[in-house]
Amino acid sequence: MLRLPSSLARSAALAIGATLAASQAFAQPVDTARIQAGDANDWLTYHGSYRSYHYSPLEQINTNNVSNLSVAWIHIPGRSTRGLQSTPVVADGVLYYTGSYSRTFALNGATGEVIWSYIPELDEALISRQTHSPYNRGVAIGDGKVYVGTMDGRLIALDMKTGKPAWDTKLVDSAKLTVGFTGAPLYAKGTVIIGAQGGEWPGRGPIFGVDAATGAKKWEFDTVAGTDEAMKTWGNDSWRTGGGGGWMPGTYDADTNTIWWGTANPAPLYDWSGADFKTQGARPGDNLYTSSVIGLDADTGKLKFYHQELPHDTWDFDSAVGEFLMLDRDGQKLVVHPNKSGYIFVYDRNAGLKNVWRITQNSNFVKDIDPKTGELIGRRDFAAGKQSEPLCPHISGGVSWNSGAYNPKTGLYYKLGQEWCMTLTVSKTTPITAPQVQLNIGADFKIAPPPSGEIYGHLDARDPVTGAKKWEVRFPEPPLASVLSTGGDLVFVPDSRGTLHAYNAETGAELWNHADGTGHQGGIVSYAVNGKQYIAVTAGFGGMASDDYAPTFGGVYKSMPRDDGALIVYSLK
Amino acid sequence: MTRHASSSAALALAASTIVAFAQLSIKPALAQQAAAPADAPLDVHELFATTCGWCHSDGGRAAGKGPQLMDTARSDDFIRNRIKNGKEGAMPAFGQVFNDSQIDSIIAYIRGLKPDQG
Repeated sequence: MLRLPSSLARSAALAIGATLAASQAFAQPVDTARIQAGDANDWLTYHGSYRSYHYSPLEQINTNNVSNLSVAWIHIPGRSTRGLQSTPVVADGVLYYTGSYSRTFALNGATGEVIWSYIPELDEALISRQTHSPYNRGVAIGDGKVYVGTMDGRLIALDMKTGKPAWDTKLVDSAKLTVGFTGAPLYAKGTVIIGAQGGEWPGRGPIFGVDAATGAKKWEFDTVAGTDEAMKTWGNDSWRTGGGGGWMPGTYDADTNTIWWGTANPAPLYDWSGADFKTQGARPGDNLYTSSVIGLDADTGKLKFYHQELPHDTWDFDSAVGEFLMLDRDGQKLVVHPNKSGYIFVYDRNAGLKNVWRITQNSNFVKDIDPKTGELIGRRDFAAGKQSEPLCPHISGGVSWNSGAYNPKTGLYYKLGQEWCMTLTVSKTTPITAPQVQLNIGADFKIAPPPSGEIYGHLDARDPVTGAKKWEVRFPEPPLASVLSTGGDLVFVPDSRGTLHAYNAETGAELWNHADGTGHQGGIVSYAVNGKQYIAVTAGFGGMASDDYAPTFGGVYKSMPRDDGALIVYSLK
Repeated sequence: MTRHASSSAALALAASTIVAFAQLSIKPALAQQAAAPADAPLDVHELFATTCGWCHSDGGRAAGKGPQLMDTARSDDFIRNRIKNGKEGAMPAFGQVFNDSQIDSIIAYIRGLKPDQG
């Protein structure tokens, strides 16, 4: 990868970045081509680009000067129930992000001034009956609009300049299914794609493609038994309460016009089938297309290819999490995708498996996964009753739903791993669907330390294809937020205690840190306005995994708010 | 959007609730079991493994996402209120899902919780 001298990069950034007023007047609209091309000053889609690197090429902030990084401005969105979990996007000096309850903001990226805000009216009686709620993971932009999902099953489009609603489309009968949308949508080719929650919530876990101009639904793909072939993998009509879903944004491969998406786990989470899961238990069969990566035609939503990372997942290790790194390596076009278990899958651009490697150190739900075939070796299937050995990793996963980062200059993938386990007593359960769908777990469980000793988290710097580890930084409690890497040779990690760290991307040496006031569990991006580079991070704890922190770790987590958060933006003085 | 059901709708809702939760009778549940009689007691043990256990670890015996329920100092009224109305961002409201008799069963289960013998 060509390394630009910093002076050239800075002048390039200055040349591209105009004054804020001018850029709003003369900027090209955000469309698929512009997202595809990328621009160092912007962050045009959730994962940074369609390549999902969570990387900014900007070099103004670098290893030589990051110790001078300080707060430029802060925005407090309000009503941050369950904390702030979103990742901002930025175009032409305007930052767009969401808080809980799908509160949506457009801010001046240089000053933090609110340009517009939109607070949707939601069915709050319904929300009070939900669990994985009311947080929101962010927006998509394109076709002159900002797109946000809601917990009551709608996708809303707002005019990018004014924040006024352009359309508001109901997609999911959340009053009946209980679930809605927490994930950010994806914009590609005039279509807005968003996936419903599912997993432990019985349902069929649809993914939708919606016309960006009109809000009309173009297509819908059921991750549970969405084809005749898949229907055969659900015995006893268990597809009716299958779970599934695709609750985080995937990405778009323009070369093949394909939407890549990760699907969630089936319900109940823990099956009592024992080894004969193909014919016994709550949902006999492989349960397609749960815990899979799928490729959908961007125009029709038809399934083109898939790989089921965990057939008959009985551990709640979704494939819905994380990023799809689009890499070129030795003439091969590859896709790297983390599964929640902590196994990282490497594919070609048709989901043909190329390699599998593991980031977690404590893992016993399978003995291994064959790196050539993807076969699960030595899988732990459960009979009903108390399990004699704790299950590792814990239900919060070997990796979280947040994203790692790939730096094309170092060639390294910076990814957080989580080391924790759980005691487990599996029970037969009956799916509850009336008057409203309820969780179907299938077990009583409790968090437990790993066999290696204490619970901990670690940031690894790895070769994304082989998994070879270059360096590792450990944290006493697993960080849950996304990671950012930059052209300034930096890796930023927002941790769970509330500290934002900057590391040397080559060596892992810590170069700077700053206390953000509360734990992090959302996104972090970088952008530039008028030639000045910013780092924007959301702080605010209280999501599902963080719920365990106060009782498990005590300390600062005992007083940490679960209903507060802020967007904090840094720059050099 | 209607926030409060009319009285006849509420009655229908309550009836369907009882039928739905009759599925959680004391007998072990299978995925396609026919609904048990409407007055069958609520199997709270199974309810925890189905839904409550998401937050209330180890059948309610340990603190996790939610507080420990075993040996709780909270009154019956507090527990009833919490089950019906939930707590914003922490616990869902189950007031439309359980009737008073079913909530009594849940409270009785909580009061009877003992440490794991195994």
